[in-house]
Amino acid sequence: MSTTGTSTRSSPAAGLAGAGSRRPLPGLLLALAVAGIGIGLVGLGTGLSAGDARPVISWLLGFSFWTSILLGSLFFVMIFNLFDAGWSVLVRRQLEHLLAGFKWIAILFLPLLLIAWFYRDPGILWKWLNPEHILPNGYTVATDALYQAKEPYLNKTAFTLRSLLYFGVFLFFANALRRNSFGLDEDGDRSRVQRQKVLSGAGVFACGLALTFAAIDWFMSIEFHWFSTMYGVWFFAASMRAALAFLLILLFFQADRGVLQGLHRPSHNYQLGCIALAFTVFWAYISFSQYFLIYQANIPEETFWYNIRHMNADGTTNSWWWVGLTLIFCNFLLPFLFLLFYKTKVRIPLILFVAAWILTFHVVDLYFNILPSKSAPADNVLNYKVRQFTINFWDVAVFVGIGALVLWAYLTSLREKGAIPRRDPRIREALEHHE
Amino acid sequence: MPPPPPPPTLTDTAGPLGPGEVAGTVKPVDLPRKPLVLGDRSYHWVTEKVCGICEQKTPTWWWWSFAIACGIASFTLMGLVYLVATGVGVWGLANPVNWGWAIVNFVFWIGIGHAGTLISAVLCLLQQRWRTSINRTAEAMTIFAVVCAGIFPLFHVGRVWFAWWLFPLPNANWIWPNFRSPLEWDVFAVSTYGTVSVLFWYMGMIPDLGTLRDRAQSTWRRFFYGTLAMGWRNSSRHWHNYEMAYLLLAGLSTPLVLSVHTIVSFDFAASILPGWHTTIFPPYFVAGAIFSGFGMVLTLILPLRAVFGLHDLVNQYHIDAMCKITLATGSMVGYAYAMEFFIAWYGANPYEGFAFINRAFGQYAWAYWIMISCNVISPQLFWFRKIRENTALVWIISIFVNVGMWFERFVITVTSLANDFLPSSWGYYSPTIVDIFTFFGTFGVFSVLFLLFLRFLPLIAFSEVKALSLPQADPHNHDHPQNQRGQEARG
Repeated sequence: MSTTGTSTRSSPAAGLAGAGSRRPLPGLLLALAVAGIGIGLVGLGTGLSAGDARPVISWLLGFSFWTSILLGSLFFVMIFNLFDAGWSVLVRRQLEHLLAGFKWIAILFLPLLLIAWFYRDPGILWKWLNPEHILPNGYTVATDALYQAKEPYLNKTAFTLRSLLYFGVFLFFANALRRNSFGLDEDGDRSRVQRQKVLSGAGVFACGLALTFAAIDWFMSIEFHWFSTMYGVWFFAASMRAALAFLLILLFFQADRGVLQGLHRPSHNYQLGCIALAFTVFWAYISFSQYFLIYQANIPEETFWYNIRHMNADGTTNSWWWVGLTLIFCNFLLPFLFLLFYKTKVRIPLILFVAAWILTFHVVDLYFNILPSKSAPADNVLNYKVRQFTINFWDVAVFVGIGALVLWAYLTSLREKGAIPRRDPRIREALEHHE
Repeated sequence: MPPPPPPPTLTDTAGPLGPGEVAGTVKPVDLPRKPLVLGDRSYHWVTEKVCGICEQKTPTWWWWSFAIACGIASFTLMGLVYLVATGVGVWGLANPVNWGWAIVNFVFWIGIGHAGTLISAVLCLLQQRWRTSINRTAEAMTIFAVVCAGIFPLFHVGRVWFAWWLFPLPNANWIWPNFRSPLEWDVFAVSTYGTVSVLFWYMGMIPDLGTLRDRAQSTWRRFFYGTLAMGWRNSSRHWHNYEMAYLLLAGLSTPLVLSVHTIVSFDFAASILPGWHTTIFPPYFVAGAIFSGFGMVLTLILPLRAVFGLHDLVNQYHIDAMCKITLATGSMVGYAYAMEFFIAWYGANPYEGFAFINRAFGQYAWAYWIMISCNVISPQLFWFRKIRENTALVWIISIFVNVGMWFERFVITVTSLANDFLPSSWGYYSPTIVDIFTFFGTFGVFSVLFLLFLRFLPLIAFSEVKALSLPQADPHNHDHPQNQRGQEARG
């Protein structure tokens, strides 16, 4: 990262793309977004016509990954506002630009809602959306005693309304916080600072609840027999880590060749690295506690969720066992050890490496939570098979497509609004931050 | 002469500017940071103020308070003597409620014991300088709370002289504790936490003890503080070692703070009892512990501030910060209550569902609604600045927090046991007079220890206040934007 200033003037987008880039980056990203999402939609169509749930899950995986990053970003913006720290002002603005992608994410949830309402088997992904869906045991969802008990919550209309409500809450706070922060740049009205705090205080509550129930609806209910009070906290922890890792990568590019050249310093990275360490531990704490308490109590209604992530119906170890081990070592232990050291938090190649590492294994964590489920009758004694760990073409296309769209929205926002909150009361502290 | 070029702006596609240029274009709105110490106090004033408290003649109110505290503490003594002489049957435990006030009181006091180390360790790592005005008192509170907490598990074994069997010591009969029991983990967690908290508290006090030694007039004070100060000479090397040790202990204490109450939550959650076995228990218990700890810090620090005239050192900024942490953690606790209730229904397990309906509307509904009112509703008042600025009201709410958190442990422990799987054995638990004596007396034990602390040790970490909270401690004071305001105010 450059720590010396430069007065080279170019558009932020071209700056981000690197000197000498002939194509404007937003255009490239938009093309990539259209291509990726288009391929994802083709995948959805293929899957739906063949009755194959896997491409639909690809869509959910890509959607979840970018939603988690944006949710984490939203929480960080609110927390930074509430904590009133000086150093975080510069990075907060980058997150505010990133939140521009939220409306697109909301739109990209629509295909899943349309499947719920118009596809011949709405239960292709969330089984309970179709009471006539055949469960692995050969009976329909409608005859399932647990479904019957949960039906007031797990039904199509309530699911749709709740999802719209979640996005309504997220979009309201994301837009209000963005508008207020950008407005401060223009009019310097100090009452906006207090308004940001009030919005953030209310937003943490409202978005916390929305995130929790979104995690229950979108991920936990895939295996609708299973339940865990910790699940919302898990998604919160995972989202915060993911947002932080993505932010570090973004900051690297902006500090190296973008709008933050000479402004974003190792001291800022150090602070972010410390938070990354804290959330690495927090994620592990939450994930371990959930696993351990279910393991220790050993109640079949709960343990089956981890059992299918360990073995097949015939007792043989399946692919999720290895994924689970990977999560322990690669999503916790290695980043934890890595981030303990001062140098890894301030040396740019190292912090960039660990951020990319965390994001990679965040994807694996989402696979672990979303993909495995009991599916289709099989010729084994327990009459089910477990969907195994695979990465397919549709997954990659959706990940890239939605990611490109989010980045495009970010760059567009960056081009329209200020790169730096120049009227923020703590901006000088951020610019002069040192350890 | 051509007009000067317009200043660069940052609100367009101008792209990267150098740091110098940016510094010229930013126009922050004027919202200065509040000072951590009011009244533009000097180093000398801070030293005199804090040292004066333990150097002055013992005030009459102290003697009265001490006598009353000893009187209250004697209730614990009576309760324990009677228990040891008679057996644990003197407590109100009977089928189906075999865990009663003892574990409720243990968890209550251990929870209170979380704020001290949290303030010193976690807020130290988070670089929150405001902690320096309250950390010493909070740490003392932690240690005394752990002492009170330890009484209950220690004496619930009945024959207390065999309590050492809790430790895995080799013995002729090959009797080993059950390592798979969370209660055994408690032994290690609490004793480790207690040890590290004492170390942290003592080590952080050494520079202040050095000052007290240097100011001491009488021989016994010189000897007392001299011994405790361990040869502290304020040398650069001493400070270097001290700060490194402080940081290491902060790093060590942080996971300990979280682990203690996590393991306490395992006491319940690792079981299969409806209402106890739920995965959110670990973070929920930790949030609850911090909540109750801050409740108790507010309960203690506000009267101390009034009695000793510490308004400049513990000012509205500190009260605001503590109220906000109380609000945040109280809301987390409320979130956990809501999730438990929701998942009890969503899980569709009739026993789990019953446990929660029974909590809210069963024979202990009164306790449940006290808990909800005190823990979820009362801290929401801290949203309002006017309430945070009303010290009396803050103190009353802090009492509500203490009461609510005791009832939380009572509700969790007793409601699930009193109406368990077998309706024919359901019962209604009531404490005996021995239970009540023993618990009531712990407030006396706590007060005795706390009063002794106030009398002999500096209740504010004044070395740290001088190093971190006073603007003149910063060698770059004039250069820093956050200090410029104060500088201007001082002229």
